[in-house]
Amino acid sequence: MKKNKGKISTTEKEFTFEFRAGKQHYVLTVPLQFPVQENTSDLLGRLKLLHKLPCFVENDLKTALCRFIERETILDYDREAETLLQKLTTKDLDMDRLTDSWAKVYSESTLEHARPEEPSREEDFADVYHELIHSPASDTLLNLEHNYFLSISELISERDMELKKLQERQAVEMDSVMQELGKTLSDQDVNAVASQHFDGQQVLESKWANELKQVTTIQKQEYQEWVLKLHQDLQTPNNSTINEEIKVKPSQLSEASAQMFEEQQLEESFTIHLGAQLKTMHNLRLLRADVLDFCKHRRHGSGGAKLRRLQTALSLYSTSLCGLVLLVDNRVNSYSGIKRDFATVSKECTDFHFPWLEEQLEVVQQVVLYARAQRNSKQREQPEGPKNGGSDDNTKNLERNTSNILPGEFYITRQSNLSEVHIVFHLCVDDNVRSGNITARDPAIMGLRNILKVCCTHDITTITVPLLLVHDMSEEMTIPWCLKRAELVFKCVKGFMMEMVSWDGGISRTVQFLVPQSISEEMFYQLSNMLPQIFRVSSTLTLTSKR
Amino acid sequence: MLSLKDAQLGAFTFFASALPHDVCGSNGLPLTPNSIKILGRFQILKTITHPRLCQYVDISRGKHERLIVVAEHYESSLEDFQKQGKSVSPEKVLQIAYEVLEGLDFLNKDGLVHRALGPHNVLLDCKGNVKLAKFGLYHMTDHGADVDFPIGYPSYLAPEVIAQGWSHPSDPSHREPPRRSGPKVDVWSLGVLLFELCAGRRLLQSFDTSERLKFILSLGCVDDIVTVVAEEHGCLEVIKELPENVLSLLRKCLTFLPSGRPTPADLLKDPVFQEVSIHYTPFRKPVGLFSSSLRCAHLELPDDISKLCQDDKEDYLAERAIDEVYYLWCLAGGDLEKELTNKGIIQSKPPVCTLPNFILEDGESFGRGRDRSFLLDDTTVTLSLSQLKTRLTDVAGEAYYPLLEDEQSSLPHSNSSNELPAAVTLPLIIRERDTEYQLLRIVLFDRILQAYPYKKNLVWKEARVDIPPLLRGLAWATLLGIEGDIQAKYDSIDKDTPIPTDRQIEVDIPRCHQYDELLSSPQGHVKFRRVLKAWVVSHPDLVYWQGLDSLCAPFLYLNFNNEALAYACMSAFIPKYLYNFFLKDNSHVIQEYLTVFSQLIGFHDPELSNHLNEIGFIPDLYAIPWFLTMFTHVFPLHKIFHLWDTLLLGNSSFPFCIGVAILQQLRDRLLANGFNECILLFSDLPEIDIERCVRESINLFCWTPKSATYRQHAQPVKNMTEPNGFGKAPSYTTTDYQDSPKTDLSREPLKLSELKAEVSPRISAEDLIDLCELTAATHFKTPTKKPRSGKPKVIAVDIRSSEDFNRGHISGSISVPYHTAFGPEGELVPGPATATLQSFRGRVIVVISHAMTRASVFAANLVRLNYPRVCILDGGINKLRATGLLTVPSPQI
Repeated sequence: MKKNKGKISTTEKEFTFEFRAGKQHYVLTVPLQFPVQENTSDLLGRLKLLHKLPCFVENDLKTALCRFIERETILDYDREAETLLQKLTTKDLDMDRLTDSWAKVYSESTLEHARPEEPSREEDFADVYHELIHSPASDTLLNLEHNYFLSISELISERDMELKKLQERQAVEMDSVMQELGKTLSDQDVNAVASQHFDGQQVLESKWANELKQVTTIQKQEYQEWVLKLHQDLQTPNNSTINEEIKVKPSQLSEASAQMFEEQQLEESFTIHLGAQLKTMHNLRLLRADVLDFCKHRRHGSGGAKLRRLQTALSLYSTSLCGLVLLVDNRVNSYSGIKRDFATVSKECTDFHFPWLEEQLEVVQQVVLYARAQRNSKQREQPEGPKNGGSDDNTKNLERNTSNILPGEFYITRQSNLSEVHIVFHLCVDDNVRSGNITARDPAIMGLRNILKVCCTHDITTITVPLLLVHDMSEEMTIPWCLKRAELVFKCVKGFMMEMVSWDGGISRTVQFLVPQSISEEMFYQLSNMLPQIFRVSSTLTLTSKR
Repeated sequence: MLSLKDAQLGAFTFFASALPHDVCGSNGLPLTPNSIKILGRFQILKTITHPRLCQYVDISRGKHERLIVVAEHYESSLEDFQKQGKSVSPEKVLQIAYEVLEGLDFLNKDGLVHRALGPHNVLLDCKGNVKLAKFGLYHMTDHGADVDFPIGYPSYLAPEVIAQGWSHPSDPSHREPPRRSGPKVDVWSLGVLLFELCAGRRLLQSFDTSERLKFILSLGCVDDIVTVVAEEHGCLEVIKELPENVLSLLRKCLTFLPSGRPTPADLLKDPVFQEVSIHYTPFRKPVGLFSSSLRCAHLELPDDISKLCQDDKEDYLAERAIDEVYYLWCLAGGDLEKELTNKGIIQSKPPVCTLPNFILEDGESFGRGRDRSFLLDDTTVTLSLSQLKTRLTDVAGEAYYPLLEDEQSSLPHSNSSNELPAAVTLPLIIRERDTEYQLLRIVLFDRILQAYPYKKNLVWKEARVDIPPLLRGLAWATLLGIEGDIQAKYDSIDKDTPIPTDRQIEVDIPRCHQYDELLSSPQGHVKFRRVLKAWVVSHPDLVYWQGLDSLCAPFLYLNFNNEALAYACMSAFIPKYLYNFFLKDNSHVIQEYLTVFSQLIGFHDPELSNHLNEIGFIPDLYAIPWFLTMFTHVFPLHKIFHLWDTLLLGNSSFPFCIGVAILQQLRDRLLANGFNECILLFSDLPEIDIERCVRESINLFCWTPKSATYRQHAQPVKNMTEPNGFGKAPSYTTTDYQDSPKTDLSREPLKLSELKAEVSPRISAEDLIDLCELTAATHFKTPTKKPRSGKPKVIAVDIRSSEDFNRGHISGSISVPYHTAFGPEGELVPGPATATLQSFRGRVIVVISHAMTRASVFAANLVRLNYPRVCILDGGINKLRATGLLTVPSPQI
């Protein structure tokens, strides 16, 4: 009999059946578990087999058994229901709490009883934009965006110029001060000048930052209003005055500096099949590039840049998003390292859709605090509950600073102003990833898994992952180190992708593995040789058969 | 399933609740998503057919645990009465009550409870008869455990349901599973519904949810619930004026304590329905194809036959079964999600707007509010059939009623046979997606299958064209010759008592074709277990070998709601194709099988065979799972279906040809690689073009002499006189070599070691006689029918010395004496005979000699020289002496 997992309390009841065969009188008694789990006809077959019952009692037995089960089940239902109702009258059950919980679940889960939704500006704009960008107006939109981008670029280059001038002036000043050092001026004086310079720089920088922010805000507002108006005008067919073309302003900047990338980029693509019987097809790409190349806009208004921008804009509110994994440290800000570089890039162009990076990060910080509080209260509630690995030192870290995040955790920002990416996963890693002996259970790898999971739940179909889990190479990263790391990440990602099939039903995806610019060409090809050994690369289709 | 008639197709959608993060099941495998659990549980609902119930048709999974259910639908419901705001006449109320109870009672008999009774779920068809909708929601969601929303509507919930409280497994404060509701909760809901109909207004409209429920619970301390409710709603007058029987019905339904409330079955027998019940005849379930009772027992023709075909303006599509119509609707471009999106039921936000902000290491996400688009809106949307109807306008009415009888008639008797040739040439994949073509095929097959087993031969004939996917399960069963009361047989097998194999079955099932939604559902696992256990228990001489699970998968998938048929098909399939493969010691069977396979590779593709033998990549290393599971272990289900559509038409040696065809598809890669790469390649078989594989294996099969695949461990000759007297389907491809009676000219069994030593297969003398079309051989049975492509072309090579040859040989054979044939390097010595051999390269070469060893060496040499299709005459020339077929060449003049 089927094992009961202690879920439902069972009672045993005895079924008796009497029949005559010739002159003999037989009584069959069967203990039955209630509620009855098994199929009645199976039970019947088993009884017949076990007790060698004659076939002429079969029908009688069947009706008797069915009737017995039916009757007893209903009695059980009745008794159970009545004990419950009894509890209500004796006030063992709190009626208010009961009905409130029902009311709550109805209002939280069904549209009929839910509170009406307050209109969300973001989503309305999303709808309007998605419609426009998929209409002939898309060209106009893109040109407008590009023009805004150019004015920001001009502003930035002005800022850079001014900062450079200031730095030059300060350098000259410093030089003269240094010459006087030990003569008329002491160390203290030099320090004073230095700090003065620093302050000067700070003032200038913040002035520019403010200006930039202001311009961006204005641009964003103008743009959104314009888009909404355009949409309205397009709704009323006769009014087509706004449809005047917006021409791309010729860029006044020299375009010489813009050709840095692309030459050094190496890339190789693979089509793979995953799965034992049912195979799903995915695309993999191995790339040697800088991680921010996916974010930067090419300044020269060449066709490729515009197409890429269009592609990104078209898919922004679609169900095929592009994501990028950025490896960051444990603080949620944009002050140092790759975080700072990323922030700089993200400011090169106004984000017309989402709050700008600093604002998003502030929200993340609050959410992190909230999540910690939730976690702590939950852990306090159930102290013997399942602990995740290494939670002991985690909690120690946490106590130091609850606003910091831990390795393997990540936060997400959304950008509409990057060239090839909509979503950025900021995955927290520690120095451990530099060592050669991380395993598949490493937090960074688990983080990757969770990132892929979010990709499934939120329709991110292209994801770029740093293959070596570092953005820059350093001395300890030898060739064996690289190979070992690449193998680990390839294998783990393969495992996760196979898992993904069960999460999303096997939607075809593109995973881009990124290696730093600084690895050698030879190394790159070694890695690209490794990939087909780990993933099953689909065979090329031969159109002309040899036979 | 009942035919569509005036019904429509409706669809509604809901979300299954998401699983908690990274929780594993007790077996260490990831948990099954709730949507898959629901999908599995839904299947049984498709079998619930009753005139008072809306037929469930299909369920499909969308993104993010969305489920869309398709069912029979009607636009009008009891809600319409409420909207009119008038009270309904007592007679009508009684009629509605009776019909609802009929539906409920039928559900209860199948162990189901509606639980979601409400005015918009009691639909009315064109004649005003009740059709209950959404009765399966409570069942498919495991009594509400797999969804986040409560099942049922606040005003209609029975007091005991409310008292249970809302508990959900995902809610940590409630550990216990939700209590199941009994049949009586529906009677309360019905009471409320009837009350509303009588009063002509909705109850508790002015209250909010919490107050409504409180009001219902407070009715426990009231004497006369009906009066109190009427007073509360100011309609005491109306209620008081109701006839006594209606009032008593209301009282009975609205009994607070379940013990005092009748069940639907009780109520149906209640005297209040005395006048109503006489108008209704109890529903009789239509008899299925395989049962002990007569299918025609209740067939009644109207007195006047001409009445049957009275209305000529008929909508033929409406006469088809509802699942067929839905299937065609899908083929005609129907898209459920699109229909629901158009009606605003599916409102999805762009994913970029719903991303969480922060995710912990264990995958828990933060910073995302509850998404409104995930709320339940269970409005049913009518699926428009207009697109399908335009698609099918050109299909003539006759096509819906093909005539089967006069097969030989030259008249264009059925539309299908006229149109088929044009479409048949298209690839199968396209045919399976062609709406009109599928309609014709479904209609035709439906009709033939109805006439099974009488029209068995026709099934074979049509199956050779193709099998419509919708009816594949039944079509396969008929091809396998299933007959009799399979359900009774299946029921009588003990599938519950633990047996030692249980453990292995338990381990294998969660690894068998789990990409498929049906087979990975818990219901699928339960059915898997039962069918497999039934097979193991009922075949005491055979054992469970790993692979049996894969073999079971296609049958279970096709007959998910009919375990007995799945079991019967499997039990018929295994002796036919895998005779004795599941013996406890099956090594001799498998070894012989693989050796024959190896010989066949050499026969069809000597170059590949030479290469594989050279690197030692023998079939034992890769082909055991192929044959033991008949390729179900290596291919996904949709490919297995196409493969088996043909396999089932072939005999037990057809699998060899499939094996060779697979190897040939990978030929280039195999030839280019060494042992290690080959092992790697086969460890995870690359994509195989299955249509090409089928085509090529048929071609290979036609080129293979029947006796070449002789196996002494194959299924012994069956008793040829079949009870039904229709005889075997006459076909060259279907008759097994083993089936034909054994004569002196048949092949003799060979020791395994001897068999293994030979590179080329032996063929029997009778095959040779047949292939060379040697006349005067009238004393043995020739296969009655051959494929049009004709028999393979043969060249007989006599390797005896020329003196012997001159003394007598079979006509048409060429003489290549063994001693002089090959040079020192193993190459053929040039000469007139070898030139002839060379020029006939590609034909089947039959090596004839005195001694078998010599013939086998000769054949091996030819294979080494990449001569394809080399085989040896079993028993040598001596076998032929008795036949009198040897001729002496007339002396040259």
